[in-house]
Amino acid sequence: MATLLKSAGQVILLCAFSLLLHKLVDFFQLKIPASILGILIVFILLQAKWIRLDWIEAGAQWLLAELLLFFIPSAVGIMKYKSVLLSDGVYVTLVIVVSTVIVMASAGLVAKKIGEKKERTPLP
Amino acid sequence: MIAFLSLILTIILYWGAKRCYRLKPKVYLSPLLTAPLLIVALLVWTDTPYDSYQAGAKWLSDMLEPATIAFAVPLYKYFHILKKHAAEIIVSVLSGSVAAIVSSLFIARLLHLNMQIVDSLIPRSVTTPIAMGVSASIGGVPAITAVFVIMTGLLGSVIGPMVIRWLRIENDIARGVLLGTAAHGAGTSKAFEFSPITGTISSLSMILAALMTLGVAPWLVPVLAGVF
Repeated sequence: MATLLKSAGQVILLCAFSLLLHKLVDFFQLKIPASILGILIVFILLQAKWIRLDWIEAGAQWLLAELLLFFIPSAVGIMKYKSVLLSDGVYVTLVIVVSTVIVMASAGLVAKKIGEKKERTPLP
Repeated sequence: MIAFLSLILTIILYWGAKRCYRLKPKVYLSPLLTAPLLIVALLVWTDTPYDSYQAGAKWLSDMLEPATIAFAVPLYKYFHILKKHAAEIIVSVLSGSVAAIVSSLFIARLLHLNMQIVDSLIPRSVTTPIAMGVSASIGGVPAITAVFVIMTGLLGSVIGPMVIRWLRIENDIARGVLLGTAAHGAGTSKAFEFSPITGTISSLSMILAALMTLGVAPWLVPVLAGVF
């Protein structure tokens, strides 16, 4: 029960921080999205030891474990674009599938090649 | 009342879908597929418009932002691994992000899709809030992009493990980069099923891909549009 309360408190803390950042980004009309700015700020604060990992770790872990839940409402949003999907759905799916395979192959193979090269050349 | 019910229903169906997936981890039982399908079926059956559903369910979408910020935690915990592999991660994420823009534009134009759909498709590999922003800046429709982002996440988490097998990608770094660059949070969720390191590399790749797309797409798209 205590750990559950701790996680919940930390989730609320992260939500409050995210809300605050959102307001700041809107106010200063920054080009960078609040979520990306948030990752950078929290990361820097952790590195600088201004905040301790155990202040947010449990909450962050819970949010990441349930990530798919937060995508579901937008996924249900597909029903709003029935006409687009009925007329272009097959082609759109084709673009997404082929392009995703290309992205995966290029990112994956480049990383694999560099990794293999690194293994072959021993560090001085 | 409908708003409250929508929220509760989404959570319950998600919870059920997740349990099913745990008992039988097959791609077609992914909670990102089964839960939305059941909800759409229910909304259609009860004649409930999406907007009344969204009034309650938007509380869940709003959690995406703090959840994205939460990626700072694995990023911090595994920073030593990232530092060691910085070069290969940055180079491969950049090549993947450029490949996403070029291939989406090229294939979509080849199939003669409407320009607005093409522009909405271009940023679909990156996480929703950033994809929607990029979409607006290059002439797409952000709401349609959000749908394409989800489709990419879903298809990507199905295709990812297959591509990993076909190309015999055995190291954690390359697997993480592949999933995070191509399929954002959904890919990252899949990556954590491989190993915590794969998941962390994937979350970092997702963040980098978002930043790179944000920086590259607004000038690359007009240049490419002139070529194709």
